[in-house]
Amino acid sequence: MMTSAGASSAGRNLTAALVIVAALVVQVAVADRLPLPGSVTPDLVLLTVVALALLNGELVGAIIGFCAGLAADIIPPADHEIGRYALVYCLIGYACGLVSAEMDRSSVAPFLAVAAGGLAGMVLYAGLGMMVGDPRATWANISRLVPLSVLYDVLASPFVVWAVLRVAHRFEGGRASRPGRNDLPPLKYRAMSREQV
Amino acid sequence: MNHTRRSRPVLAVLLLLSLVLITVDHRGRQNSPLRGLRLAGAAIFGPIENAAAAVVNPVGSTVDDFTNAPSQKRRADRLQRENQRLQEQLMSSRLDKARAGQLNRLLHSAGLGGFKIVAAEVISAGQGFEDTVTLDAGSGSGIHPDMTVMAADGLVGRVTRVGPSTATVMLATDAGSQVGARLEASKEIGVLQGTGRRGLSFGTTAPLSFQLLNANAPLWPGQRLVTLGSQGDRPYVPGVPIGTVERVVKTPGSLTRTAYIRPFAHFTSLDVVAVVVAPPKSDPHDAVLPPSPRPGG
Repeated sequence: MMTSAGASSAGRNLTAALVIVAALVVQVAVADRLPLPGSVTPDLVLLTVVALALLNGELVGAIIGFCAGLAADIIPPADHEIGRYALVYCLIGYACGLVSAEMDRSSVAPFLAVAAGGLAGMVLYAGLGMMVGDPRATWANISRLVPLSVLYDVLASPFVVWAVLRVAHRFEGGRASRPGRNDLPPLKYRAMSREQV
Repeated sequence: MNHTRRSRPVLAVLLLLSLVLITVDHRGRQNSPLRGLRLAGAAIFGPIENAAAAVVNPVGSTVDDFTNAPSQKRRADRLQRENQRLQEQLMSSRLDKARAGQLNRLLHSAGLGGFKIVAAEVISAGQGFEDTVTLDAGSGSGIHPDMTVMAADGLVGRVTRVGPSTATVMLATDAGSQVGARLEASKEIGVLQGTGRRGLSFGTTAPLSFQLLNANAPLWPGQRLVTLGSQGDRPYVPGVPIGTVERVVKTPGSLTRTAYIRPFAHFTSLDVVAVVVAPPKSDPHDAVLPPSPRPGG
């Protein structure tokens, strides 16, 4: 039992890493180049962190958030201080992990988590920018970018959350030995797997 | 819950670590001890982005053609002579052809100015507040930091970081970008500043602001700007067309007037660009500017 649990957690980490890398590449190569109205783009990496944190709880959420943020800090063409996204995503991963228990009770909770995460992420990132004297992080910029970006985040969240759940579920479903597990909704399944650990 | 108690120290350590990273990187600026980390990022993610761009770019160009159609139409109405060319470009179904055309015009512009260029393609764009893009050419193609980047129509920005196969470009529209500029056919110089996120969120087509150093110099809509050129031609070479003055705003109580500039380059749909690897032997002055449109013509 222990060995299979170890193998599954290593597999889960690998899946999380692959999902994050995919989200990063899609973010910079596709999403950020879309000429959307307001020239704001949804933050797919943040959505992925939120989804993974909601699935895995606060400890994993914080670690995933930190790693994803660090990667977002060094992926070209990032041009800000290393550590800014790491700090922001780490906090958001932790916070969303804390409310992961609520996910099973309410169906709007993921959307609230995404909206709150999007808002907090943008404001925190800008606040950090102001502290280190980033000329881009001005109130004029923030006030006109934040509302739209939260809206885009919420609009994009069903697709991202669905994709992340799909990947996580497929991996864990493939590993599951008991038949019938695949039929369970992913969130319920997560709750079950947590009780067993 | 046991889980929560265990996760708090982890969170604290991670937050502290990121604060240390921010501080170290901020204090180090260009010579930050963490630049190795950035280089690693460029080395790891560069090839992935390159591969992704091979899939994404053809699709993206098609989308751009559609989304740009209204604004290009408006321009075409204004400039009847350009109409034909733009329509042809829009209708050309073969993307290869369009790209070859872009490259051709790029070479033409570069030839006029006597710039030596390396052509590159945009493969990704920056997140958050920054207006940056990645090019698919890096130090392997002879690109170094602080080189001018231009499109066929005009100035794009400057190279800030270089990886093995990628280069990061800070666009002229970035809020942190400042370019010395000169009014066409005059010696009046000033500073061009970006307004951030391609300036689009202001709902205007003028994402650049320009302040003349001489408060009494004439400044009116329709005037055109070229780069002034930096000391030692780095980061900006002289003579690269920038854009047209769209409107002039006089701030009460301020000594200088601010002009908003509509750039020649399309910052929302950058594709093939050129990195100027060697400056012209002599300042091309206004030679690279397109022939000035006749009013009403």
